[in-house]
This record gives sequence, C-alpha cells and structure tokens, in this order.
Amino acid sequence: MNFGIAPAHFHLLLNHFPTVAFTVALGLLICAVIGKSEEVQRASMVILFLIAVLAIPTYVSGNAAEAALHITENVYQAKISAHESAAFVALIFMEITGFLAWLGLWQARLLKHIGTWCTPVLLLSSIVTFALMANAANIGGDIRHPEIVTSWTDSPSGTPAGPLPAAAVRKFVTSRLWVWPTCETLHFIGLCLLFTVVLIVNLRMLGMAKSMSSESLYQLLPFGMVGFALNLITGMIFFVSKPDQYVVGFAFGWKMMFVLLGGLNVLYFLLSDKPWSVGKDDDAPLSVKLAAATAIIAWVGVLFWGHMLPFIGDAF
Amino acid sequence: MMNFLTSVEQSGFCTWVRQSTSLFAFPGILLLHTIGMGLVVGINAGIDLRVLGIAPAVPLGSLEKFFPVFWIGFWVNAITGTILLAADASAKLALPDFYVKMIFITAALISFRMQQQGLYRGVPADKRPLTTSDKVLALTSLFFWIGAITAGRLMAYLGPAGGPDAVK
Repeated sequence: MNFGIAPAHFHLLLNHFPTVAFTVALGLLICAVIGKSEEVQRASMVILFLIAVLAIPTYVSGNAAEAALHITENVYQAKISAHESAAFVALIFMEITGFLAWLGLWQARLLKHIGTWCTPVLLLSSIVTFALMANAANIGGDIRHPEIVTSWTDSPSGTPAGPLPAAAVRKFVTSRLWVWPTCETLHFIGLCLLFTVVLIVNLRMLGMAKSMSSESLYQLLPFGMVGFALNLITGMIFFVSKPDQYVVGFAFGWKMMFVLLGGLNVLYFLLSDKPWSVGKDDDAPLSVKLAAATAIIAWVGVLFWGHMLPFIGDAF
Repeated sequence: MMNFLTSVEQSGFCTWVRQSTSLFAFPGILLLHTIGMGLVVGINAGIDLRVLGIAPAVPLGSLEKFFPVFWIGFWVNAITGTILLAADASAKLALPDFYVKMIFITAALISFRMQQQGLYRGVPADKRPLTTSDKVLALTSLFFWIGAITAGRLMAYLGPAGGPDAVK
C-alpha cells in the first residue's frame, strides 16, 4: 500500500491546529486571569490538552510531508531541517503544557476549584510554547508558501546557529549502541504502567471488582499519565532518530490514530462527572462502560500497531 | 540434546512460526506475548504500587478480584513463550540472557505468591497496617518484573533476530 501522500496531506491539514487553537487557548487563559473566571480557564485548559494530543500526529506526519516533497535543493533542505528542529522544541514544550493542563484539571475535581499553582505556571508555559510554536509554524510556512518569503538567504529563522536539537538527539541515539535497547526497555515499562491504570480503572467500570469506588480509582490516573509520558518521550526518541523507517507502511499512521483515540478518551474521563459518581458496589452507566471499553480498545490498538511496525512497516 | 532441539525447530509448526509471513505466525504470537506481559505486570504493579502508598484510597482487598486477569496473562505468556522458544530453541537456549529472564520471572512469581499469602490470607491487609515486609515484597516484585522486561527486551538485541525473514 502506498501511503506516501496521505500523511503528507495530514501534516498540511493538522499543522494549522496547534498555532490557531493555541491563539484561542492563550486568549481564553488571559481573559480568565483578567476576569477571574474559573470556567473560562477550564475551557482554555481543555484546549491546551487537546492541542498537546493533536501535536503528536502533527509532528510525526511532518517527515512524510518531507518525503513527499522530493526536494534536493539545499536551500529547501536547510529550511526543512530548521522547521523540524523548531517543531521538535515546540513539541516538547507543548507536551509539557498539555500534561500541566491535564494535571490542573485532574486536581480541580478533587479540590473543587483550580489549584493556585495552575494559573501562573500554565500562563508561563503557554506563552513560551506559543512563541516556539509560532516560530516553527513560521519556518514551516516558508517551505510551502514561497510567495511570502522575502529572501531565502537572510531569513534569520532559516539559518539557525549551533547544533539542531533534533539532529543532536539523532546523533546521540545512533552513535551509541546501548541507547536504542534502553529506550525500548523503558518503552515496555511505560506500557506496563499505562496498562496498570487502564486495566484497573476500566475493568472496574465494566463491572469487575465493584467493591472499589470510582473515587478511589481517580487517584490512580496520574500514574497512567506518567506511563504515557515515559512512552511519549522514548517513542519520540525512536522517531526523531530514525524517522524514515516510520514513514514506510501504514502501521505507524494507525498507531497515531489510536493514540489520538486514547487521548480523546482521556479527555472524556477528565471532563465527565459520570464515571466519578460511580460509588462502591454501583454498576456504572452504559455510557461509562462504553467509554471504558473504548479505552481498552484504544490502548490495545496502540500496542497492536506499535507491535506490527517491524512486520508491516519497516521499523524495528 | 542438540539433535532434539534441532528436530523441534525443524518441525512443521515451528518452521511455520519462524518462516511464515502470515501475521498470525511470529508477529501474532509475539503480540500475544506482549499483551500477556501487560496483563501480568500491569496487575502486579498495581498491587505493588498500592502497597507502596500510591492511590491509598484504592481498597487492597478489591485488587484480589483482578488476579484472574494476572493468571490469564500468565498462561498466555507461558504458551506463547514456549512456542517462541521452540521455534528458535538452539539459539535462544545458548543465550545467557534467556536464563537471566527465566530467573527474574521465577523470582517475580514467587514474590507474587508470597504477596498473595501475605496480603490476602489470614488477616486481610485492609484490616491491618501494612508492614515493612509487605513493602519490601512490593519493591522486590517491581524489581523482578523490571528485570524480566529488561532481559526479555534485550533478547532481541543480544541474540539472533527471531521471526520470519521478512523482519529486517
């Protein structure tokens, strides 16, 4: 199956979301601070979390877009690697912001209000991320929209000084034999930690071990996020080091689709009150059971497609 | 002994597992092995983390209800692990890392059984304060599972690559 063009289109479609949605999220956050509105702040935190989820497929579809361009001119290649590195740094900060937004929303349910740390921390990380994201988008725009480029040679963003972060990670991983197996091991440990939370929370919602109240399960959620974070970090190390092997075949694309599904499922459990009002010995309502089944399907799907990478795609 | 291993490897089934490009052969069996790992380590790590003080509101007693999930994972892995070993016996058995993995799994299973005795037999752990030995056992359990995962993962790098020739 030729999957060369679709992810490239995917990149061109998705890449507008992080910047545009971020403007909305940051605007709402500033309005929330000025107007002292918790509701508005929550809305901005939800958008920040969603952008963090979307930023993952946006980033990884970039290499397919690069492959589809078939560009050999040096000037373009310099632009593309500058864009890749700027996007890599922006992604790191975006994911940190997304995790902080999740944590703030998670804690807000326990405290019944947004924690005091949340507003200044999120404001700071959002502003930094927005600047980085806008920079990455700006360089990326030059690649696709030559009409707006005034000069290829003196564009300051096109000629970054010093080593590029993505290239530095790539060099570190590929020049040392132990790094890849170590990251693979950590990826599996993260998988187990994620499974701990996904299994216990969702099997309970589906009717196993009903003597657990959902309130007690709520405490487990951050550890699932820790497992996911570990896998996101190690996964991105794999991707950045050998992006070409993930562009071939459709397994990686499907894996990202299931990550997206998993992310939306996390958002449901973060926002809905229904799962968390299931008391001791209660049966969860049907909608919660559906969401719980979706969670298990999503994460097993991620595992399945990740596992199929060496067999259907080209990765190892 | 070597002859026996070679004849196992050359059997029709093992040859199919090794060489077939079907996703149900090597890829599917290895997939089940990974899912089984998720069930076994996922559930046991949940108990370990709870004993170590994470998510204290989760009633320890209810976690016993997830033991069947652990055992399903265990038997899936015992079966798929045996198949994966049989398909590549002479190479895998020559690998010290394989024995390291087996030792870690044995130790992890022993500590799981000890936890089962300590937490769920006699006075239930919910009705008494957790002791130092409960916590030490939870730590060793996590250590043994991490050891087993590490040794298992390293088999792909230290030994000859398993699976069909399709795997590059």
